[in-house]
Amino acid sequence: MTLFHFGNCFALAYFPYFITYKCSGLSEYNAFWRCVQAGATYLFVQLCKMLFLATFFPTWEGGAGVYDFVGEFMKSTVDLADLLGLHLVMSRNAGKGEYKIMVAAMGWATAELVMSRCLPLWVGARGIEFDWKYIQMSFDSNISLVHYIAMAAVVWMFTRYDLPKTFRLPVTVLLALCVYKSFLMELFVHVFILGSWTVLLVKAVLTGAISLCSLFLFVTLVHSN
Amino acid sequence: MFEEASEVFDNMFKSSFPLTFIVFIPAVLILVSPLPAEAAHEFTVYRMQQYDLQGQPYGTRNAILNTEARTVEAEVLSRRCVIMRLADFSYDKYQKALRQSAGAVVITLPKNMSAMPQDIVQQFMELEPEMLATETIVPVYFAMEDDELLSIYTQTLTSSSSQGSLSAAEVLLHTATANGFQMVTSGAQSKAVNDWAITSLEGRLAGVGGEDLPTIVIVSHYDSFGVAPWLSYGADSNGSGRTHAGYNLLFFVSGGGKFNYQGTKRWLEENLDHTDSSLLQDNVAFVLCLDTLGNGDSMHLHVSKPPKEGTPQYSLLKELETVVNSQYPEVKFSMVHKKINLADDMLAWEHERFGIRRLPAFTLSHLASHRLAERSSIMDSRPHVDVNKLSRNTKVVAEALARVIYNLTEKGAPGDLQIFTEQMQVQEEQLSAVVDWLTAQPRAAQLLDKDSSVVSTLEYHLGRYLKDVKRHYVKADKRDPEFVFYDQLKQTMNAYRVKPAIFDLLLAVCIAAYLGVMYLAILNFGVLYSVVRRITQPKAKVYFSVAV
Repeated sequence: MTLFHFGNCFALAYFPYFITYKCSGLSEYNAFWRCVQAGATYLFVQLCKMLFLATFFPTWEGGAGVYDFVGEFMKSTVDLADLLGLHLVMSRNAGKGEYKIMVAAMGWATAELVMSRCLPLWVGARGIEFDWKYIQMSFDSNISLVHYIAMAAVVWMFTRYDLPKTFRLPVTVLLALCVYKSFLMELFVHVFILGSWTVLLVKAVLTGAISLCSLFLFVTLVHSN
Repeated sequence: MFEEASEVFDNMFKSSFPLTFIVFIPAVLILVSPLPAEAAHEFTVYRMQQYDLQGQPYGTRNAILNTEARTVEAEVLSRRCVIMRLADFSYDKYQKALRQSAGAVVITLPKNMSAMPQDIVQQFMELEPEMLATETIVPVYFAMEDDELLSIYTQTLTSSSSQGSLSAAEVLLHTATANGFQMVTSGAQSKAVNDWAITSLEGRLAGVGGEDLPTIVIVSHYDSFGVAPWLSYGADSNGSGRTHAGYNLLFFVSGGGKFNYQGTKRWLEENLDHTDSSLLQDNVAFVLCLDTLGNGDSMHLHVSKPPKEGTPQYSLLKELETVVNSQYPEVKFSMVHKKINLADDMLAWEHERFGIRRLPAFTLSHLASHRLAERSSIMDSRPHVDVNKLSRNTKVVAEALARVIYNLTEKGAPGDLQIFTEQMQVQEEQLSAVVDWLTAQPRAAQLLDKDSSVVSTLEYHLGRYLKDVKRHYVKADKRDPEFVFYDQLKQTMNAYRVKPAIFDLLLAVCIAAYLGVMYLAILNFGVLYSVVRRITQPKAKVYFSVAV
């Protein structure tokens, strides 16, 4: 469409990040450099994941339209590296739990936004052709911000030594949900043949549920001792 | 924040090379990667004719198109691309679009032309010359209809026709849901093609008795014509003017026939003015031009001067009548007399070229008048030729010629004597194959250069029956060209889905509202936090009490 449309999509995708950064008090902690470091870690982890996938997962050669269930599952398993990466970022930062989580999640999500959404928006939303998918992509980036904050929180809880035994199971389940969320979404889409807006809605609801659960656990854990 | 950022980048460059590497190599790779060409629909379009004849411009003068699509029903058409379907096409609508200074006209043709009602086809055929007669500034394109194109047309139609009668709210809703289409052609502006050579072929059968024998010249042109060159298959006109019999027989297959018989003209000039001895120069009995013989139950012999009794032309006329009357009574044969109009830009029939040079000549065709649109229409395709009729017409011509050549009537042969029997029969299968092959590709003069397969195959076919097959090339004069052709006749057009500017504004307002809500939500995250805490606290107490 036009540059104006690109501006719309860009604002929709980036402003929530900016607002979150400003309002969560990260700017007062002078945490920008730390966020950039987290982003660099993101890049490093993605590079490792790509190398690993390219080496051990040959391209699926089945017929078109056939869903490679096992293959996709194994690929999602590689996303466990994200958890390691987040842990790495948080372990290198000293500070309160919220601060560590926010820095890791912000850096991580922003790096993803810049790397995987910025260019498609620049190329696609500015082109002549109008497509709702750029607006959807921008909404999706908002969802993934929430997703990474929840994921960082769960990782932080999981790696605590003083995690009560009763928390172990729900936290592990949440971790698994976080990692396999994209896989589950793909499966949903494949089984129920959803439209793109419905997919976005389902994704938002699922992410919302996961984050709410992790918020409950987090609040309970933080205020229990 | 930005100072922080620049500081960070400074540090990054100075301190850690690997980090720079990781960040910038992907960035560079991404930036240089080619942009994908995404379009809602991509289709091939064929441009209307563009040529100059004797300094007079004809057809569309433009090839570039980048405008929004509309149908004729829309109120404002200026600088829009007007899409019309063949079924709804009329000259009034076409003129309306041009009067309102439309940016372009795209006419969609159905895939299956033969399924169209005959009156529409007829009407369009009559309009074709009118569209070409005047110079059109804006590009005019033809496209083959498919499902995608049809859906684009329908969507454009709904958005074009519903405007003006709705309330503001409805219009707003409409802009959000309906699609507009931006039509863009990928090619460059059309340019004149220099040094385009029109090829003509000549072959002869010598009679016994050397050069002094009178000569019969049989002429037909092989190029086709239509409103769009790439759609000109010209099955009947003039894929059907091709036949095979002591007179010298000179066969000539000319090019550029639809452009005032350029091939014939040059050939005549060469033979009459420049060469010393030529079959044409002395003792030509008559010139028979064949044009449009592939259909119809009537044959018309077009002459510019009624032949006098006792001349070879007159005997051919008589023989044709005899053959038709005695052997093929279903054919109506007549002679049409039309004087050459030298004031006219275009010559009507090919024989007039010879008539001007004082050679006795006439044209044989199933059309009663040169103005009939069948001779220059894109609707003239393979189903238009009836091979049975073509072969019958071929037989009539061959029988009559043979009777003139061997002087059979004077020798007392009966009228129903068939000369071409058994092995000399016209082979329908072969004829049908030749017509099929000729109509399998567009044969507009602009598309046939000297290396084209049409010309070389024709040459080969002539070579099988005739001797001394020669090529003649016509090139337009550099300084004062008689004909100029233009390129960019076939292009790819993209239809991009677009939204009006008001939609962007609407979207911006919605996004601003959404971001406002997000801002408030993040600002008041503490509320949610305390709510969650209040819910979890009793549970925590219970948990602790249990633990204790």
